[in-house]
Amino acid sequence: MPQSVVRAYGLVGGLATLALTIVLMANYNPAAGMHSFVSQEWIPAYGITLNFGYDGISLMMLLLTTVLVPLILLSNFGRELSSNRLFTSMVFLMQFGLIGVFISLDGIWFYIFWEITLIPIFLIAYWFGEPERKAALMKFFIYTFFGSLFMLASLIGLKSFAPSFAIEDLKAVTLAPEVAVWLLGGFFLAFAIKVPLFPFHTWQPATYSKAPMAGTMLLSGIMLKMALYGMLRWMLPLFPEALDCVTYPIIVLGTIGVVYGAILAIKQDDMKRLFAFASISHVGLIAAGIMTADKDTLSGSVLQMLNHGLIAVGLFLAADVIERRLGTRSLRELGGIAKQAPKFAFWFAALAFASVSVPFTSGFVGEFLLLKGLFSFDNVIGIVAGSTLILGAVYTFRAYQLSMYGPVKTSAFADLSISELIVFAVIIIAVVFLGVYPKAVMDFVEPSVTDLLASIKQTPIVP
Amino acid sequence: MDALIVIFISGLISIFAAFAKKPVVVLLGASGGLMVAIGLIINQLVTGHSFVNISYEGLSFDPISLVFSLALSVFSLLIISVGYERFKEEPEHTGEYIGLLLFSLCGALIMTAFTDMFMFFLGLEILSIPIYVMAGSRKHDLRSNEASLKYFLMGAFATGLLLFGIAWVYGATGSFTIDGIAAAINDGAGDNPILLVGILLILSSFVFKVGAAPFHFWSPDVYDGAPHAVTGFMASVVKMAAFAAFLKLFSGSFGMESVRDFWAPALAILAVITLFVGNLSALRQVRLKRLLAFSSITHVGYTLLVILSNDNLATFDLWFYMASYGFSIIAIITVGLVVNDAEDRIEALKGLGKRNPLLALVAVISILSLAGIPPTAGFFGKYMVFSHAWNDWWWLVIIALINSAISIYYYLRMLGTVISAEDTPSEKIKLSPLTALVLLICLAGMLGLGILTPFILS
Repeated sequence: MPQSVVRAYGLVGGLATLALTIVLMANYNPAAGMHSFVSQEWIPAYGITLNFGYDGISLMMLLLTTVLVPLILLSNFGRELSSNRLFTSMVFLMQFGLIGVFISLDGIWFYIFWEITLIPIFLIAYWFGEPERKAALMKFFIYTFFGSLFMLASLIGLKSFAPSFAIEDLKAVTLAPEVAVWLLGGFFLAFAIKVPLFPFHTWQPATYSKAPMAGTMLLSGIMLKMALYGMLRWMLPLFPEALDCVTYPIIVLGTIGVVYGAILAIKQDDMKRLFAFASISHVGLIAAGIMTADKDTLSGSVLQMLNHGLIAVGLFLAADVIERRLGTRSLRELGGIAKQAPKFAFWFAALAFASVSVPFTSGFVGEFLLLKGLFSFDNVIGIVAGSTLILGAVYTFRAYQLSMYGPVKTSAFADLSISELIVFAVIIIAVVFLGVYPKAVMDFVEPSVTDLLASIKQTPIVP
Repeated sequence: MDALIVIFISGLISIFAAFAKKPVVVLLGASGGLMVAIGLIINQLVTGHSFVNISYEGLSFDPISLVFSLALSVFSLLIISVGYERFKEEPEHTGEYIGLLLFSLCGALIMTAFTDMFMFFLGLEILSIPIYVMAGSRKHDLRSNEASLKYFLMGAFATGLLLFGIAWVYGATGSFTIDGIAAAINDGAGDNPILLVGILLILSSFVFKVGAAPFHFWSPDVYDGAPHAVTGFMASVVKMAAFAAFLKLFSGSFGMESVRDFWAPALAILAVITLFVGNLSALRQVRLKRLLAFSSITHVGYTLLVILSNDNLATFDLWFYMASYGFSIIAIITVGLVVNDAEDRIEALKGLGKRNPLLALVAVISILSLAGIPPTAGFFGKYMVFSHAWNDWWWLVIIALINSAISIYYYLRMLGTVISAEDTPSEKIKLSPLTALVLLICLAGMLGLGILTPFILS
């Protein structure tokens, strides 16, 4: 098969799934709640059912996945990688797993798809990553697999009280709080490692910087949304009995992550590592927001997930554009690129602004809702988490300034190619559109969030 | 019963066909016989009738034993087809190798169908003795000889323990049959210390046969030294048969609450030790079959949970787990056999993707299946075992899950070797059509078994 066919095939395939998602969205009525399209028994003896469906939240995640996959493929067009059959097939296997995660309404299927995503991302990073990647990848795989196994243990434990793994059956279980805390702990470990939350983040910077750019994009853009989605869809509704005990600690961990990630990001020299720590900071805020279990905050967190996915892909692409042309990502060795590549400078600047959540970008709406929720949850936490706005500006603009302005330190810098330009433009347009008109997303998300919260049983704590 | 007879006769034919010095005749005879046997088993499963009805009380081929027999026969067929590549190098002995494997399979079938201790003992010996010989079939290889001798000595010792145990149990219950023993225990023999001693002795001989700690020392040496096909046979057929008998005896005869409370905690502790010993020893292995030997010890640890779980689906759990494990281990052993490295190093698998994509694909899937990563059959097997063991032994399940996480390290290292693209030997590997067929069947087994569960269950 000629190389260019693989490349075109990948892009067309990605766009086709995007088109399908849009058709699904157009036919979906947000007020109708969960649209379950398969619901039947599968292996009754083992309690596994075939239960798949989607609501507004799932649809937004599907949209994010299907938008980002073509963008990720497109941003690789400058490399030989894009015409590699193995790479393209692994990206699609990844997308398959991700879509499965977002539509599964049965615990075992959720787990199966959750684990399926691990294989392609490992293979992509292993085959195409940077030279000293093996140790980092080993750590990544074992760490996340370890967390997932605890989720499996929790699922099995929870199932021992329920007739099947269907989410409705699992929700109907009433647990003693002390049991619920342990079972929730298993889920939390899996999600906290994948997100990653402080202090479970140690695999992340090394893996992000050693993986190839496409792998990093898949990891930060979509894969960690899987964990945040899991918190929303599974952790909150399944263990209402335990929420009183765990809400506060998890929010504190998230908030620590916000500040910790940002401070480390400020000191980084490697651009990819810098954005990796920035990612810890951003997702810490989202995770904390999810745990408040408040309607506006949850909607804000879904919006922020979309926003973070888009911007993370954009920022990693920017780092890659620099690395591909100059062979380095070290801020110390960069400078003055703006003079050589004005187009790149413009789009990178737009991304940087979106990343620090200036008004009229989606980040503003999302972070505003999240911070508002955290502030009303606890003033101190709200204020500490609010520092993300300032710290975020510091590390983002530091990276921008050191690389783009100042004396020209590097040889000629070719400006953006068409495919890179398209990726940047799509991301910025989407981010600005969501910033000006967040209602487009909120219309889908809010009714679903309301349903989700209504399904969390309010159980009084028995002393 | 039909299948047993057919397999025995085709074993005899194999041995006599060897006089023709044409290995292919032996292969055709053996695989033809096995296929007929598989057909007969399926026929009896579907219609419930068998052609030969000898009313003998020692053996009863009920659906459960038929399902096990089916898997055992399929595994043997796969292994004979794979091992043929190697067996045919010595045309004058091909018939003996294949014939011995078939006789051993007869023992395995008896072990799934016995109803009294006498038949059980016969089955075990018929299963084991050919393997002692097979393990030493590379006569000029020191390690093969060592494997054979070690296996024989240890096996004879375990047999002694078993017979001694059967004698004690007979002394306490006055019965040889499974039902008879169960009835006697129900009538109050359960408190008899003589019975308990007997159970412990039988338990330890089983623990030896399946290769669980602390009676596992023979298995790495034997797996490592024996020829590939024999290693595959021991890991799939022998293990499955031994576990089938183990479960039958311990849930049938010794399954009562009073007796179970006696042996279950002991077995649980053995399971914990087995899991850790297998895993921790596997971490630094460099030889493929040795690594697989330690990983199989770990798998035995997981499977012991089935014996403990006390669930009416336990038999199916066991069947599924051993079937998925069998397909995976035969697949990876086949890969090792085809790569044919003199030292059997894992390193020799390097760059398999470039040298033969099908081989690499099968290797990757089988490693994932051994590690228990969805969507392979290995995951479903583990899930079934764990979910049923959870109610009584939740802490054991958590230890087992932690062990799965540890084991991922060496599986991942192996996976990394298979898929690495750097400094690979450049020569391609050619597969014979027979081997390719076996690989494809294993692949289908590893991927399809999970999806087929509803049909098998019904």
